[in-house]
Amino acid sequence: MTLTDAPPRESLATVSLSKSFGGVKAVDDATVTFVDGKVNALIGPNGSGKTTFFNCVTGMIKPDSGSVSYRGNDVTGRSPHRIARAGIGRSFQLCRIFPRMTVLENVLVAHRTDGLRSLLKGARNDDEIERARGYLRRVGIDHLERSEAADISYGQQKLLELAGVLMAEPDLIMLDEPAGGVNPALIGRIGTLIRELNAEGRTFVVVEHNMEMVMSLSDHVIVFDRGRPIAEGPPSEVQTDPRVLEAYLGV
Amino acid sequence: MLNASDRLSVSKAFVAKVVVFAACAAALLTFPSWAANPYILSAGVVVLSYAVLSTSWNFVGGFTGYISLGHAAFFGLGAYGTALLITKLDLSSFVAWFLAGVGVALFAIPVGWAALRVRGASFVIVSIALVLIMLLVFQSWSDFTGGSNGLVVPRPFPDMLRPEHHETFFYLFAALLAVTLLCWWLIDRSRFGMGLKAIREDEDKAEALGIPTYSYKLVVYVVSAFFTALGGGMYALWFGDLDPVFQFSILIGSYMVLMALLGGVRQLYGPLLGALIVGTALEYFKLEFGDTQFHLVATGLLLGIVVLFMPDGIIPAGMKLVDRFTPERSSIREMTAAELLERDQSESSERAGRHASTPSDPEPSTTEKAKR
Repeated sequence: MTLTDAPPRESLATVSLSKSFGGVKAVDDATVTFVDGKVNALIGPNGSGKTTFFNCVTGMIKPDSGSVSYRGNDVTGRSPHRIARAGIGRSFQLCRIFPRMTVLENVLVAHRTDGLRSLLKGARNDDEIERARGYLRRVGIDHLERSEAADISYGQQKLLELAGVLMAEPDLIMLDEPAGGVNPALIGRIGTLIRELNAEGRTFVVVEHNMEMVMSLSDHVIVFDRGRPIAEGPPSEVQTDPRVLEAYLGV
Repeated sequence: MLNASDRLSVSKAFVAKVVVFAACAAALLTFPSWAANPYILSAGVVVLSYAVLSTSWNFVGGFTGYISLGHAAFFGLGAYGTALLITKLDLSSFVAWFLAGVGVALFAIPVGWAALRVRGASFVIVSIALVLIMLLVFQSWSDFTGGSNGLVVPRPFPDMLRPEHHETFFYLFAALLAVTLLCWWLIDRSRFGMGLKAIREDEDKAEALGIPTYSYKLVVYVVSAFFTALGGGMYALWFGDLDPVFQFSILIGSYMVLMALLGGVRQLYGPLLGALIVGTALEYFKLEFGDTQFHLVATGLLLGIVVLFMPDGIIPAGMKLVDRFTPERSSIREMTAAELLERDQSESSERAGRHASTPSDPEPSTTEKAKR
């Protein structure tokens, strides 16, 4: 049974997922189901466990208990690369790129490999380069392809990270604060990109503090507080929910 | 999609590369005929053996950024493996040499499996522990390894005179170096190599992009151990006498690292250049200052200078220097028209944003109102 054969019934789901650091329950019995084909937003106050939840789901951290499934397949505790190969791409909260590689190489790293023989192929395979350039063009930084990634601006690095994630052709894209630390024009551009990519059939899970972006962008909002979801629904409902206002705004 | 001027400069660079490569290869291959005496020739063999070892080390150090100070373990095992296969099993010299290399590669699988679980300083310490364990084992197990009395390796070419012997091994080491460099180059340009370099830059990120980092590291570690062992075995066949203190020495492992760092770990020829400089310096200091430990002081100073002034190594530092004298290319720090446009747009929208929300998103203003 391969992942691609499974019909896209449900997207990513967790059941009773928990993770503690010492005495702190970062993620506490979280049962969450994300909606397939939609832009899902994950919001919550600082320290509510959003990033830890992200890391547990993508295999960067092993959860203490509970399970994670993607499209009906159990992926709990799998290594990050296997989860990535299963079709889940992610970005990092503090944008992470490969600083001493060129912009083009940064994207090429995420090529799809099939079997050992393709590994020994030249890295600068023409088809792959064209594909990588396509994604760079898509995020709007194709003119920088020969620059070292360390030399481009933070906003451009954010876009580069997104291009790298796209290169792996994930069905589900998890973005940890895509609007963090970038200027308003770029936030608009990232938002537009997410909407376009979503229209092409990609599911998104976005952790974001920029409420404007969350409310305008997402179809489904899940609110985290103290390591577990406390409310979920369409943005208009969630933002008037008294539990959310209490947790989020402290009123 | 290169434009015409790019193609021209690429082909120029290519011609320059070929010319430099041919000149260096010619100088290297004719060395035995212009070496002043057998001693100089033997020093040449030593330098070449360092170049093989350092290039072998660079499979792990250069690609993945994992600094192993313990590669002397594979060097020593390759040397002893070769010697023991010849003396105990009566195998012919070069069959033993190759089998020892394969054996060490197999041995490197469980070692790498354990050692590569830790990163950074922890990995360095684990790698040092490996050499020290090997040293103790080979010293203590003297009825098998000869212990501190040494182990004499039967000469592969018993009829040869000493200069002839040196010359033969000079070419054997040169051939081994060529194969090692070729293998490094092939990995460097492959997708596998790109994945390894991503590990060097940011291992977690590489993993998140779908690269099985642990398997990648293990494979390249085994390849590195294999070539290091072949270098060690070749050394055993050439030198003819093994002692655990010299074969499993932290110093040998450190030399490999120093040479690679000096030349430049990201460069194919970095370790080779480093070996030429450090190896020659070591031989010179040993000759001038005899049995004193001055050559170690000099090596330490050299390492300090490299770390302080040329952290990327001589080759990148030299290329930067050459770049300064060539006509300026368009710098990546200069802004392109597209970037300027982007900057202007963002500035104007920032200004606009202070008064009202961005015009491209009509919804947020309504949601903001709702919040109020």
